[in-house]
Amino acid sequence: MDFGSFLATPEIKVKVITYRDIFQDKAMIENRFGEEYRNLSAVIKLDPVDLKQLNVKKGDTVILKNSFGRIVVKVDESGYETPHRGVAYMPKSPWSNMLVSDETGGTGIPKFKDISVTITSAKGEKITEIEF
Amino acid sequence: MTNAMELYQMLPKTNCKKCGKTSCMAFAVALMARELKPEDCPPLMDEPKYKENYEKLSSIFKPSEGATETGLIVHEDLCFGCGNCVVACPPNVANDPYGVGSGNAPTNINKLVLTIEDGIVKAQNLGECRRFGKNKILCNGCIVTCPVEAIEFV
Amino acid sequence: MEKNYHVCTGCSLLCDDIEVEAEKNKINKVHTACRIGVAHMKAGKEEAIFRVDNKPVDEATAISEAAAILKNAKNPMIFGLGASTNEAQKTAIELAKKINATLDDTSSFCLGSLVEALISEKIKTCTLDDVRNKADVIIFWGTDPSDSHPRHLSKYSYFPRGSEKQRGWEEERTAIAIDVRKSHTAKICGNYFFQIPPKGDAEFTDALIAGLSGKLPKTSYNYPPKKILELANILKGAKFGVIFVGRGLIYSLENLEPLFRLMKALNEKANFHLMPMVGNYNTMGFNENLFAETGYVNSVKFENGTVLHGPDYSIVEALKERTVDAALIVGSDPFSILPRSIVKNLLEIPVISIDPYETLTSRNSKVYINTAISGVEAGGSATRMDGKKVSFEPAIETNHPSDETILKKIMEAL
Repeated sequence: MDFGSFLATPEIKVKVITYRDIFQDKAMIENRFGEEYRNLSAVIKLDPVDLKQLNVKKGDTVILKNSFGRIVVKVDESGYETPHRGVAYMPKSPWSNMLVSDETGGTGIPKFKDISVTITSAKGEKITEIEF
Repeated sequence: MTNAMELYQMLPKTNCKKCGKTSCMAFAVALMARELKPEDCPPLMDEPKYKENYEKLSSIFKPSEGATETGLIVHEDLCFGCGNCVVACPPNVANDPYGVGSGNAPTNINKLVLTIEDGIVKAQNLGECRRFGKNKILCNGCIVTCPVEAIEFV
Repeated sequence: MEKNYHVCTGCSLLCDDIEVEAEKNKINKVHTACRIGVAHMKAGKEEAIFRVDNKPVDEATAISEAAAILKNAKNPMIFGLGASTNEAQKTAIELAKKINATLDDTSSFCLGSLVEALISEKIKTCTLDDVRNKADVIIFWGTDPSDSHPRHLSKYSYFPRGSEKQRGWEEERTAIAIDVRKSHTAKICGNYFFQIPPKGDAEFTDALIAGLSGKLPKTSYNYPPKKILELANILKGAKFGVIFVGRGLIYSLENLEPLFRLMKALNEKANFHLMPMVGNYNTMGFNENLFAETGYVNSVKFENGTVLHGPDYSIVEALKERTVDAALIVGSDPFSILPRSIVKNLLEIPVISIDPYETLTSRNSKVYINTAISGVEAGGSATRMDGKKVSFEPAIETNHPSDETILKKIMEAL
């Protein structure tokens, strides 16, 4: 039996790599407040083994948390990508930007691609709204 | 790229002539041209030791719903509209070298196998496709250039 | 037969071979454009919208309110313009001078440093047409054009026949992807995909330089030296090589030195060019226009005829340090594209949003003016990612004003 399942809520730490997705960009042009854009943006892709350790299924919601933000997004299983335990993929969006550090070292460039978060099951909690 | 030689490797290679062809190689060529089906080889059907090869061959030639006469299927929901297949398609290049062959808009639309319409690849003029007709070859120019397996031959 | 082709302003490739089937003010069908291009060309909307405090107003009210905000501001900022024509950008530069504004675009936190190096001729570059006609070794580093610039590979960099590349991609070109994730572009590159760990780019660069001079390439993450040597050998043999650089690479480097070193080493052995994969259709134009005016590509502040420059005048630092007290944002959505931890400060100052699209920024603005989509509903000129100038006419009619018109009217109202 998986050790994670003995914990009340299994939790893992991952590095998040953001990427561009053509269908997400298309949905954004069509309506950035629409269902389609939200479905393609508020999502994190995990290695199947990480999914199992979290005791969540594809389509469940998960909580992503670090010192800059806490968001709820849907979880997905990665497809053709090579195994990537401990690394998660997320399309770049207002959701991923809620987890980016405000530290820039005065350079004017945030650490967009240097995101670490802990993930736990959101137990049905709804996807975070992007509106203020 | 699948060719007659690869098909030949999966045949009994006994040259028994029961299919009506003079040799297993001739049968393989006929398979390629879709003149004959794997079922036309009696030993392949009857002898258990060829069962695995028969299944492989029949999966290569399996007809499918939605397939065109060359077996080409476009999964429209996957397609990016990037046009890689349009530009890489050998008959497209031959029939429109300075249009699609050079990455530009089509200029010889009546002879092109693949074009992009509303951001999705469209197949037409399949008589030009290298998988069509008697001297077909199992060309895969549109498959290996696709980022998402949006084109499939069945 | 001469066809009536349109230019797609969906990304910085500015594809100039798009046919559309249109009625007066609606595009029904688009030929040859990719998914992004089609969505972009069909995005035109019916009614022009002007809002103040989220209530509909007429154009004159919106303009005078915008002018009042800028007039009352001590340190206004103008930001965006990557999706505006050269003409609108030049107008915005004039406006920034007039009101002593801080002026910046997305390049300050994207690829601006690299664009500046190219414009000041510190790195050898080329055009996309050169790539199509000559390139034999093509590297995509930290970029996935299949998703971001979908026709990049088919129109220029890998698949098309070119004047010196007549035999096709399989025989005459090698496409290589270096990335932290197996992107769609990496998939197409097959065995020439080199997956490196996050932040591993600088080390990989130096390992590659070692490999180029026949030394053993070492990395702390034990990348197989044999694979790096194999890559170095391909690069050494390039008659016309090009590296397309994306944010994946730039964000991973402390500074551009590793890239300068690599380009120097490559050009001692072969012939290599570099091109940044800028995103917005006219980011390159903004960088060029501002450079022509000030000698800088972004992050400037005009002050009574002089120009100040540096990260302090970038949108990110200006918001972090709360140095600006009003913002005019043109064709950009900072509330979506910047870290929430930083951009939340934008809620504290009055914002004027000029944008063809309803965005998080337009919804959180004091003044919102909904403009025409340039390239679709309005004409003008822009600069392609490789520096080529492209002019375009509107494909359909619209009653929306262009951003250039609005900027001019705001300037007059001041």
